[in-house]
Amino acid sequence: MPAAALTLRFFQRELRNRFQGSFSGGLWALFQPLLQLAVYSFVFVHIFKARIPGADAPGYVVFLMAALWPWMALSEAVLRSTTAIEENAALIGKVALPREVLVLASVASSFAIHLAGFIAIVLILAALGSAIQLSGLGMAILLYVPMFALALGFALMCASIQVFVRDTVQVLGQVLPLLMFSAPVFYDRSLLPEQFRGLMDLNPFTFYAESFRVVLLDYGSFRPLQCLAALVLAAVVLLLGRWMFRRLDPHFEDFL
Amino acid sequence: MNPPLVLARGLEKAYPKVYRSSDRLRALGRLLVRGEDPDRVSVLRGVDLEIRRGESLGLIGDNGAGKSTLLKLITGVLTPTAGSVEVHGEIGALLELGAGFHPEYSGRDNVVMAAALHGLGGAELREKMPEIIAFADIGHYIDEPVKHYSSGMVVRLGFAVVAALKPDLLVTDEVLAVGDESFQKKCVKWMKDYLDAGGTLILVSHSMYHVQKLCRHACWLRAGEVRMQGDVFEVTQAYLAWHERKSAALAEPRPEQRAGLEFSVISVSLNGSQGEQATLVEAGDDLRVHVRVRSRDGRVPCIAIGITRADGTAVYGLSTDMDGPPPQRVGEAEFACELELPELALLPGGYTVRVHPLDPEGVRLFDTVERSLIVRGASREFGLVRLAHHWNRVADETLVP
Repeated sequence: MPAAALTLRFFQRELRNRFQGSFSGGLWALFQPLLQLAVYSFVFVHIFKARIPGADAPGYVVFLMAALWPWMALSEAVLRSTTAIEENAALIGKVALPREVLVLASVASSFAIHLAGFIAIVLILAALGSAIQLSGLGMAILLYVPMFALALGFALMCASIQVFVRDTVQVLGQVLPLLMFSAPVFYDRSLLPEQFRGLMDLNPFTFYAESFRVVLLDYGSFRPLQCLAALVLAAVVLLLGRWMFRRLDPHFEDFL
Repeated sequence: MNPPLVLARGLEKAYPKVYRSSDRLRALGRLLVRGEDPDRVSVLRGVDLEIRRGESLGLIGDNGAGKSTLLKLITGVLTPTAGSVEVHGEIGALLELGAGFHPEYSGRDNVVMAAALHGLGGAELREKMPEIIAFADIGHYIDEPVKHYSSGMVVRLGFAVVAALKPDLLVTDEVLAVGDESFQKKCVKWMKDYLDAGGTLILVSHSMYHVQKLCRHACWLRAGEVRMQGDVFEVTQAYLAWHERKSAALAEPRPEQRAGLEFSVISVSLNGSQGEQATLVEAGDDLRVHVRVRSRDGRVPCIAIGITRADGTAVYGLSTDMDGPPPQRVGEAEFACELELPELALLPGGYTVRVHPLDPEGVRLFDTVERSLIVRGASREFGLVRLAHHWNRVADETLVP
């Protein structure tokens, strides 16, 4: 069975699934993060008076946007694909198919929607005269590649565990916000007390939050070791996820 | 010799014992660390199966015998616990109901997905879509979500997809039972054409009629093991006979109170064999029933001999006082008679031969002894016995020239 063609079918189905029946259709994908960005910006800029340290610091809205959008792609991809196997139990029980395809299609659809939203908002904000360097957009899109591998690895793990332990998705719903707040999404690393700054590197998303700001806003700088660590981590998580999925895959049908 | 399309060796399947949610967690840990989970309930054991291209196999057995599990192992939906199964070819499977349709999507969308799952691309599918819709024949329902379908419609659509795909191996599980009469006929006709064109079929059915009509081989599964495998007629007859005996055993538990009877049966032999095990007779062969009876008072008894279907339906019976000589004295208080039924007219199946001694007047009945009889043969005639018959030519003047 050509797995690529099959993935494409499930990918299309997944996309249609999200927009079918929703009133605004595909626009919702763009509108929902925009709304979220607007709310966060209002709360942080006008209520908490958040400021980004540094003389040439960018505005808070672009600062937040550069990390929030990629985070939404990552967290939604992992959360939604955790139930990908469980939701397709009827299909898995009737037809033999490579089951990774279901997880892959789910992760891919989350990334596709949020990447499209990301590009759109970057273009909009740049047109509105924000401090965005459009030249960094290509690099930013490239950053999505290791992030995709990371998300897919986590998704494969979570989806296979979910078959056995049904609370996985609930636990994940609690863990993901923790990960978001412990990564420099809403704030900059330099705002943290000195002794905690190093700990941030333990959060896998820290690298991505900071790197998107480097390429789009020229804020901060790449650290070669951090880049290498992030790439290695993405590869390891992907391989580990695939190993785990394949090990548990023959037993899915017994537990679904 | 072409290589087997399906080859299963020592196939075994066991399901995990999962009663509480903590069991699931423990199973997950064991599978991840050791790659196996020893806490299991076995549902299928030691199944060997070999199906060559162009063969047709009927899978029969009680509910829970492991038929569906075996099919799922063959199609690759389940992974065997032990043993191996190889399939060299494209499989089209209709397992239970639904064939993996998504209830929220329209029939058309589900057909597209089902085709993609079988590796059929867009262009080929567009070509075959009208054929599929025509075969399913469910009218405007094709564009409605599958959740609004009746179970018959789901099967229609599922079968239509498989029919269009023309797989090397077709695996169907009880699908014929749901369709209506005309759709069943359509399916049976399609399957016959498919088999004639060299297709291979595995059919699970409780309808022995369909199994005998479509399959040349049969495999009888009983409690997870192969009880019998071979020619379809022999296997289905053995299976039916077993069922009849089972329901007869449930119906009448016979108290044994032979001692002190006025007349009692000493022995009954069928074609010379006396044991409790069933006697095998080829359809059309002769059957000799030899009976010895003890008479307490030395009076000459009447002996009645009857043949019933294993479930108790009477087929034929007679007694010595009707048209035979009285039983002959063979000992002090023993009498014997022998009945011969030449060219036995019974159709293949399981039967019981019953023998009763009666008092000399042929009024009171004492004692009952039964012997199982299995008539073997490959016949598709219906009923219990073959009646003498021949087909006449239709008179010439009524024919259309």
